[in-house]
Amino acid sequence: MRVSVSRTDPAKMLVLVLGDLHIPYRSNGMPAKFKKLLVPGKIQHILCTGNLCTKESFDYLKTLASDVHVVKGDFDENLSYPEQKVVTVGQFKIGLCHGHQVVPWGDIESLAMVQRQLDVDILISGHTHKFEAFEHENKFYINPGTATGAYNALDSGVTPSFVLMDIQATTVVTYVYQLIGDDVKVERIEYKK
Amino acid sequence: MSSEDSVKQPQTQLSPQEEQEKLLDEALQVVKVQSFQMKRCLDKTKLMDGLKHASNMLSELRTSMLTPKSYYELYMAISDELRHLEIYLCDEFQKGRKVADLYELVQYAGNIIPRLYLLITVGVVYIKSNESCRKDILKDLVEMCRGVQHPLRGLFLRNYLLQMTRNSLPDCPPNENPEPVKEGEVEIRSGDIKDSIDFILLNFAEMNKLWVRMQHQGHTRDREKREKERQELRILVGTNLVRLSQLEEVNILRYQKLVLPGILEQVVSCKDAIAQEYLMECIIQVFPDEFHLQTLNPFLRSCAELHASVNVKNIIIALVDRLALFAHRDDGPGIPNDIQLFDIFSQQVATVTQARQDMPTEDIVSLQVSLINLALKCYPEKIQYVDKVLETTVQIFNKLNLEQFLENSSAVSKELSRLLKIPIDSYNNVLTVLELKHFAPLFEYFDYDSRKNMSIYVVNNCLENGTEIPMAEQTDQILQLVSSLVQDQADQPQEEPDPEDFSEEQNLMGRFMSLLNSDNPDQQYMILNSARKHFGNGGNKRIKFTLPPLVFSAFRLAFRYKEMSEEDDKWEKKCQKIFQFCHQTISALIKAEYSELPLRLFLQGALACGEVSFENYETVAYEFMSQAFSLYEDEISDSKAQLAAITLIIATFERMSCFGEENHEPLRTQCALAASKLLKKPDQCRGVSICSHLFWSGKTREGEGTEMNGEASPERGEPKELQDGKRVMECLKKGLRIANQCMDKSVQVQLFIEILNRYIFFYEKGNEAVNVQVLNQLIEKIREDLPELDSSEEMDQINKHFQNTIEHLRLRQTSPESEGPSYQGLEI
Amino acid sequence: MSFFGFGTTADIDVVLDGSQTRKYVEHKTEDGRKEKYPLYYDGETVAGKVSVSLSKAGSKLEHQGIKIEFIGQIELYYDRGNHHEFISLVKELARPGVLTQSTSFDFEFINVEKPYESYTGANVKLRYFLRVTIVRRLTDITKEMDIVVHTLSTYPEVNNSLKMEVGIEDCLHIEFEYNKQKYHLKDVIVGKIYFLLVRIKIKHMELAIIKRETTGTGPNIYNENETVAKYEIMDGAPVRGESIPIRLFLAGYDLTPTMRDINKKFSVRYYLNLVLVDEEERRYFKQQEIVLWRKADRVRTGGQADESTAWGRDYQA
Repeated sequence: MRVSVSRTDPAKMLVLVLGDLHIPYRSNGMPAKFKKLLVPGKIQHILCTGNLCTKESFDYLKTLASDVHVVKGDFDENLSYPEQKVVTVGQFKIGLCHGHQVVPWGDIESLAMVQRQLDVDILISGHTHKFEAFEHENKFYINPGTATGAYNALDSGVTPSFVLMDIQATTVVTYVYQLIGDDVKVERIEYKK
Repeated sequence: MSSEDSVKQPQTQLSPQEEQEKLLDEALQVVKVQSFQMKRCLDKTKLMDGLKHASNMLSELRTSMLTPKSYYELYMAISDELRHLEIYLCDEFQKGRKVADLYELVQYAGNIIPRLYLLITVGVVYIKSNESCRKDILKDLVEMCRGVQHPLRGLFLRNYLLQMTRNSLPDCPPNENPEPVKEGEVEIRSGDIKDSIDFILLNFAEMNKLWVRMQHQGHTRDREKREKERQELRILVGTNLVRLSQLEEVNILRYQKLVLPGILEQVVSCKDAIAQEYLMECIIQVFPDEFHLQTLNPFLRSCAELHASVNVKNIIIALVDRLALFAHRDDGPGIPNDIQLFDIFSQQVATVTQARQDMPTEDIVSLQVSLINLALKCYPEKIQYVDKVLETTVQIFNKLNLEQFLENSSAVSKELSRLLKIPIDSYNNVLTVLELKHFAPLFEYFDYDSRKNMSIYVVNNCLENGTEIPMAEQTDQILQLVSSLVQDQADQPQEEPDPEDFSEEQNLMGRFMSLLNSDNPDQQYMILNSARKHFGNGGNKRIKFTLPPLVFSAFRLAFRYKEMSEEDDKWEKKCQKIFQFCHQTISALIKAEYSELPLRLFLQGALACGEVSFENYETVAYEFMSQAFSLYEDEISDSKAQLAAITLIIATFERMSCFGEENHEPLRTQCALAASKLLKKPDQCRGVSICSHLFWSGKTREGEGTEMNGEASPERGEPKELQDGKRVMECLKKGLRIANQCMDKSVQVQLFIEILNRYIFFYEKGNEAVNVQVLNQLIEKIREDLPELDSSEEMDQINKHFQNTIEHLRLRQTSPESEGPSYQGLEI
Repeated sequence: MSFFGFGTTADIDVVLDGSQTRKYVEHKTEDGRKEKYPLYYDGETVAGKVSVSLSKAGSKLEHQGIKIEFIGQIELYYDRGNHHEFISLVKELARPGVLTQSTSFDFEFINVEKPYESYTGANVKLRYFLRVTIVRRLTDITKEMDIVVHTLSTYPEVNNSLKMEVGIEDCLHIEFEYNKQKYHLKDVIVGKIYFLLVRIKIKHMELAIIKRETTGTGPNIYNENETVAKYEIMDGAPVRGESIPIRLFLAGYDLTPTMRDINKKFSVRYYLNLVLVDEEERRYFKQQEIVLWRKADRVRTGGQADESTAWGRDYQA
């Protein structure tokens, strides 16, 4: 199913941010409770931090929204995914990068270097399998974690998570969905330009 | 009569349909006129004239020209009009008119069709006004109708009889001890339920005979049309059964003793496939399930006696479905304990199959499908019933002596698939399915495609239900079952499979890996070994999908052993074995000529090793790192891939903290060397720059392991960051040198800005080898070079990058962080 | 009434005893109309009163004697001149003399034998009548009055069912059964046809009642057949093993008792004709004689029966 991006209300955009699915190497799929939340037709854009690993996972994202952006993760074999990407949504310039290339992994200052290079308002990265969202020197950083709760050698307590960004004019309201035990917990973080 | 028919011969060339419409219109016109006259006469209480018009109207039903459909319309119109007559007569009789006379009077009608319709109408009024002769009238009516032997006209006449009597049939139990009739008394013969049963059964038998007779009339070339017409009329015959089912006094006992034997006798003896098929299903549908439960044997026995072309399968399936539904109903009493439903069906199905040697195999299998449905719905807890059905099916196929596998597209194959999917779907637990001993053997009859499809079905079911496989033995069983997805098959097609389909199916198996999961780590280890054996034989194309999940599963297992190190004193040895297992498994991918995938897996292995920190882990981690390097050096040739790989090696290594200096030093040197040996200058520059981090946040542990009390202890000191500022600077300076060698000015400036950022990074981290002068120099250099660049989109980006960097510095200068370095003297 | 226009004439009127209470029945006249006549049975006395009224008061009527006759006669239409009187009884009412005023005479024929039923057929008529004659020198004055006689029978002692298997070889075999051989006029014919073999496509089957009137003797025999009833008993084609019911009420039809060799002048016989018609309009039939007899009427309310008769007959048309 293809869902056309709604341009009728450009002031309001829902952007799904997720990544590090690692299907099938490290996980057999997204939690059913996440899948239930993600229904076609609600989301305008998808920004994926990579490690989709298979075409099926990409096809799945395409069923949720037609506008899907993916960058290459360390376990992606798809050569057409770029290492980095800049996407403009509303008034925000958003940088997308998996993060395995950023040394040291997950380091704020190293990510800041990428932010400066890409000249973006928001930098989205993954790889650590740990959700984060914070402001640093007036820029906003998001790590959606892993949508499947995939294994990470450096973190024994991985929690499945993804992020929805509600972009309206100069404000981004970020909702993080985490599967804790059997429950989906939602947190809200707001960022203004 | 004949002259009347000839009048209706079509005059002009009309299509058959138009002709029908015309004939019907004409007939309806007569009905309209005559019924109007009839009602007018009745209004004037001229009964005789009224009857005469009624008779004229009814004469229209003598036609032979109408199709069943048109005849039905005509019949409906006429029976509507007869209602007026009936109501009038009822009124008259209530006023005291003698009915017996009329019953004789209407019999003077010379033509039989109008005569009998009138007789029925009057007879029913007679019964209504005086029940004492009901028994005799009913018997007389149903007997007199024999006079109409024309199938279509007879069917409708008897239908009229059935419709008219529907509220007048005796429905009371017989009086067991009737008082003797005294002299001078008239015996009251209002009848009882037995009379009603006799009445309907006789009417049913006659209607069925007429209906069957239609089949044998007319030309053979019209057979199809005739059969279609018969199907249109079947409801008329079935109404008899409906009427029987509506009688209160037809209870289980009477159904068993009188009703069903009567019906079955007629059904079996009529030897007509259409009638048999319809009526058997009709029985199932109209009578309650409680009745069926008590009469399974006679019913099913009759199934075996039906005409060879009757689709007995459908009949039995319909019954099974009904009973299964009944057993399942929440408000129902369920299947009584004394009825061995499954055994009865299973025996009778065998008898039917035996009796019909020409039954197609797919139908035989379909019957097994219905049996398995029955077993699952009525006896969900008895898996031995399900297994019994599967066993029977195995026997059926054994008897067939198939010379080749069942073709995927064949009907038999489809039915067998349906059969096997039922337990899968209903248990939704593959472990229960594995308990069915005769499930897997049935896979052997399928051809490759069907086997694969069924395997995919099984695996998907596991994934959808999250069915975890907790034992090595079960792992072995299930991977054996779905072996068409695991390994090459002797009968698989020669040509290569579609790559997209292939990867989809193998990804499925990859996902399935994560379901192989035991709570017990030792069992889990055995599971992994079992899986390794199966997947290891999958061939080069498959292992790419199936082995990596196995490796990650092994990593996870190592972490679990670590978590329970206090309970299991052999955990370290076990971890050692796990990593050996991983090493071996990853190496299998190298043998299959993969390079990037094993490289990454080795890096993951090294990371895991370092975290699990079992005895000897440093050596193992080193081995994994060195394997990654070997692959890098020997197998990765594309420059872009090289950069990506070395970056990943460096980034991974940077995170590791398990090495002592004696192991860390050669590895980091190797990284730096590999980075500087990259082919392209910008890649070299970037590689070397990244390496700088190894000398700053790279971690080592000090001291050799100390042996205490004979127990090996990996204890070293806490990991410590190198923070070798000079070596960091050397890397960055080297980076600048390489950047200087770049011919492309814009790339050069870009690289300068990137290195500037790294300077800033380390300056802010407190690397004293970096100072403001160095920053100033580099900033000045960039400022000099920037204007020389041609304006382009790329140039804009570089500019922005620089502006952002300066902006960062300005921010830090104006509002310094408390612990951060001072930016005094920075020229921005 | 006088041929010559002179002399005294008189009117004769016959009034039968009990004419108020006697039953009148319809009877067909020769021209096909139906009229009502007083009904008498065999052996019943016929008595009454003859009134002679003079046409002019105060005149005289001279006569050679007055008599009344009771006559039963058979009249063959082809031989109108010859009336065969099988009964002829005479009573003298007055000796020759002169009537000076209107006078009544009682008469009585005691226990008259009336052996035959009144009958009006196609070629023959059997009638009973009273004839009063005032004998005069030139022209007699006469008056005739018809009565109707019904002959009643008792239940036949032997009345077996009529059963027979008939057929056309390899084509059609049926067995039919009528419940009796002798039926009274208000009786019901009940029976059934059992099909043993059917190789033709039958379209329908009917039962007809045929009346055969035979007149004359020797070479001068006339047979007149009339289909009194035609009754469809089956529609469509039966198969082997079917049995078709028959029920035919006789009351509605215009029937007389069977008459055999009445006074050696005529007979009226009835036959049941079973006819099967196939799809090509070929007819297969079998005739069986039945005997009709008249049963003594029980007292019944006449109105409805008449109406039913009328309707039944109309339907035949």
